Amino acid sequence: MLNIKDLTFRYSRKSPAVLDSLNLSLKDGETGVLLGKNGSGKTTLFKTILGFEKPESGQIEFNGKNLLKMSRRERAEQIAYVPQDIQFGGLTVFDTVLLGRLPYFGLKASKEDEEITMRILNEMGISDLIARNTEELSGGERQKVAIARALVQEPELLVFDEPTGNLDIANEQLILKEIIRVAKEKGVGVLTSLHDLNQALSIGDVFFFMKEGKIRYSGDSSAVTEQVINEIYDADVNIIEHKDRKIIINGGL
Amino acid sequence: MEAVRKMRRKNLLIITVLIIAVIVLALVCMFTGSSDMSFSDGLNALFGEGTSAHIRIIRNIRIPRVLAAIIAGAGLSISGLIMQTNLNNAMASPATLGVSNAAVFGANLSIIAFAGGFLSAGSRVENYLTGVNPYSTSLVAFLFSTLSILLILGLCRLKSFSPGVVVLAGIAIGSVWTAATTLLQFYATDTGLSAAVIWNFGDLGRATYKTDIIMALVVGAGLILFIILSWRFNALLSGDSSAKSVGVNVSRLRFFSMLAASLITAVCVSFLGIIGFVGIICPHVAKKLLGKDHRVSIPASAMLGSILLLTADTISRSMGNGSAIPVGAVTSMLGAPFFLAVIFFRKGDRA
Repeated sequence: MLNIKDLTFRYSRKSPAVLDSLNLSLKDGETGVLLGKNGSGKTTLFKTILGFEKPESGQIEFNGKNLLKMSRRERAEQIAYVPQDIQFGGLTVFDTVLLGRLPYFGLKASKEDEEITMRILNEMGISDLIARNTEELSGGERQKVAIARALVQEPELLVFDEPTGNLDIANEQLILKEIIRVAKEKGVGVLTSLHDLNQALSIGDVFFFMKEGKIRYSGDSSAVTEQVINEIYDADVNIIEHKDRKIIINGGL
Repeated sequence: MEAVRKMRRKNLLIITVLIIAVIVLALVCMFTGSSDMSFSDGLNALFGEGTSAHIRIIRNIRIPRVLAAIIAGAGLSISGLIMQTNLNNAMASPATLGVSNAAVFGANLSIIAFAGGFLSAGSRVENYLTGVNPYSTSLVAFLFSTLSILLILGLCRLKSFSPGVVVLAGIAIGSVWTAATTLLQFYATDTGLSAAVIWNFGDLGRATYKTDIIMALVVGAGLILFIILSWRFNALLSGDSSAKSVGVNVSRLRFFSMLAASLITAVCVSFLGIIGFVGIICPHVAKKLLGKDHRVSIPASAMLGSILLLTADTISRSMGNGSAIPVGAVTSMLGAPFFLAVIFFRKGDRA
């Protein structure tokens, strides 16, 4: 579905490359997790995929089409984004989620757009919030509203930047479950960054380890080894296995 | 869905109330003034009956004035709202791009240098204000404000219209115009100076049918454009990256909508002089009353702008003892306490 070849990006001509001949590929309906230290280029990679930034060189192919040549609107019908710091700006929950239909309706939302919005709100279990002001929501509710807005775009790929960043453990689980459910039920591909390696292992089909603007290692959970993690993060971790699951322990403490 | 419909009905109700308020105030404004015309005389004169003096006052003085208040109030208010949304800044106003400062400079140049310097207008203040052509001062004011807008938007294009840059560029260029105006006034004759200062006071009395039509066309076009773009402005409320991710071309939206908002302001200020505060306070009150959805906050701001300017003009003409006191002073005197009350005494903070 998503094929990135030799992607290079810098913020200005003389600054170092933030993305350095990066290669990545994600298959239909797969959940890919992007792992790496702060500043390794994860958010920049998202920005180039979403068209916020133009790369210096390289190609991004999406379902066989050149993503870099797509109009904003066309891209928005296929890729939806939930940013790291969600900002809503005081519309009601209903109107905020309805905004996800903007690439389709342009000027005025149709009855169908409103029905799709209501359906997704029901699926996410937040239909009782519709008349609430988005500025009055809790962290978990905000995250759900943001995911709902991304879903009404009916995308083929959902991009999340640190979806569990500001959540408590209960909401963390809830949101991760929601992401897996959506991905599997709707067959939507997911590309997400996550800081927590155990969360990553619990939702990912494929893992991309990023360092200094390159994908250094990638593969399924068998690619997640102590040696790889220690190299990517310059850290000291241990992996133990429990009921066929890998559990990562911070060994540096 | 029912909760959403209920909210929409409430918003529709508030908008209807605002429309009625505009109509009632327009009538009150039309029948108030220094001439001792009774309400029924005024009403008759409106329909062409009664003394010719009354008919003349209503048709040639009061109606253009009331129309100017409605149009300019609406125009300044929606410009303010659009600037606030674009710059994500509650302090942004129609004048943020230095439009008013540039218009003041243009008008002062026309009054002091052209009328006083080259055309020897003598010592009558009126001659300075009108110059060769009654519209020349407005035209020069408009040319300079357009120049200022294009200069700032052109510069900000280099930084892809990031809000902070636009605000700072507006402040910098605005202060250059103010400095230039100060220099002009320093070298002006006494009569030229007083004519220039009088121009700076906003005055709805300058409106004629001709100026009303021009303002109506510009404000009307802007209003329609902004309403068409309301969903895009709504997208902008949730930040640039969210707006981009739902397909909005953010820098193009900023460029054209700030250009439109500034042109509306330039036209109103060039014809009527400086009328401050309408563009800051009315959009805030609209957002407090009806929330931030631009589908309702745009029309509501427009009507609140008309309401404030009609009220201010009615008061300015009843207090002026024959000649109206500057309406710009009244909008601020009237608006500020109301504004403070809205900020401090209403439950919930949606500003």
